[in-house]
Amino acid sequence: MKSKTLMALSASAVALPGVLVSTSAVSDTPPTAKIISYRASSYKEDALASEALLAGSPERYDIEIHQLRYSSPIGEKYSISLDSSYESMSGASPWYTVKSANGDTKVAMSGASIYEKRRDVTASVKRYYDRGNFGASFTISDENDYRSNSASVDGSFTLANDSTTLSAGIAHSDDDINPTDAAFFNRILSANKSTTSAFVSVTQILNQFSIIQTGVSSTRAGGYLTAPYKLSDHRPEERNQFTWTTSWRRYFREQRSAFHANYRFYDDDFGVRSHTIDFALHKSFSRLITLVPNVRYYQQQAAHFFTPATDFARTMEFNSSDYRLSKYDALSAGLKFNIQLGDYTLVLSGERYRTSGSSNPAVIDFTRLSAGIDYTF
Amino acid sequence: MTACQFVPAYQRGDLARPEMAFDADPLGSKLNQHIYFSKEASTGGNGVAAGGCGCN
Repeated sequence: MKSKTLMALSASAVALPGVLVSTSAVSDTPPTAKIISYRASSYKEDALASEALLAGSPERYDIEIHQLRYSSPIGEKYSISLDSSYESMSGASPWYTVKSANGDTKVAMSGASIYEKRRDVTASVKRYYDRGNFGASFTISDENDYRSNSASVDGSFTLANDSTTLSAGIAHSDDDINPTDAAFFNRILSANKSTTSAFVSVTQILNQFSIIQTGVSSTRAGGYLTAPYKLSDHRPEERNQFTWTTSWRRYFREQRSAFHANYRFYDDDFGVRSHTIDFALHKSFSRLITLVPNVRYYQQQAAHFFTPATDFARTMEFNSSDYRLSKYDALSAGLKFNIQLGDYTLVLSGERYRTSGSSNPAVIDFTRLSAGIDYTF
Repeated sequence: MTACQFVPAYQRGDLARPEMAFDADPLGSKLNQHIYFSKEASTGGNGVAAGGCGCN
């Protein structure tokens, strides 16, 4: 008896920067159909509070995103997928922070004249065997000031009892940074960084209705890790990151619902440690309509070199007032509708993300809305 | 707590449902992970797709 059924259940959720994860539970066997998917999304950050603005524009980023994906079987033992994204961004970005006389943190923003575009393409191929699979992918991401090339390989192997799958993979990326207006703002003219990651995971069928996957990953980034557009931002040239991720799925037949729970622990030698937990319920109301509410909670500690006010005097070797390195919590909630019409599936979704507890008022809240369609043939 | 049970292939239909996948929406996951990668200090472990600067 082939072990394809188990392989169908073991799509890897633990993946790497540059790795496009397996698409669904049924995608670790050669897919039986071709699928073309398209999504259009709007991402909008809330404006900076007026009382926190020191200079510049309070308007934050608006991003329009278009995504296209094609996946197809190739014969009986291979599959391919192509993913591409196109983003157009505009808005203002935090530049530096200062402490006001009453102790509040004020943020100097750039002008609202930033316009950027980003494109990425990922090509993936997978070979299927009786007891496992082996895949490879290559990704190019291109902006006017940033280019990233990454490649990855991963594989899975099913153990003899057909209830356990081991997965592993490695990935590597090389990035080139060429900040705009570098000479005018005394930014670095050009720089590069590289990132190498590895993961292992195990997937276990618990019973007829539930399955669990747990894994760890390790990432080492080296090179220019400083934010080039922040004023007086100095970060180490090496960053070692660790994650432990566990995902659980439980199907409730009478309720026609699938419950998803995911947890991630993250730790790095910048001093950032975080916990992420999210839940989703895939509730089918008929064969045509699925509703998916979800909630996500994220909490992180500050990097050890984070300073609420920009350290212009550079009293420490490393320092950054980047809000992303501050301590904060984030709670987000979302809702998604899937409506199936023959070979077409309409997808509508939205998410609201709110932060709290940061010493930097530039920390963001945002809203995302998406609409799209899947065509299966 | 119950131990793992052996589940024969003919009883794995519910486990193989698309909504039971670890990643049931590849494009949605790719976008969300890219947003979180750009706006949070943590990354990895959830299938972060196609890097990019995330500088701003």
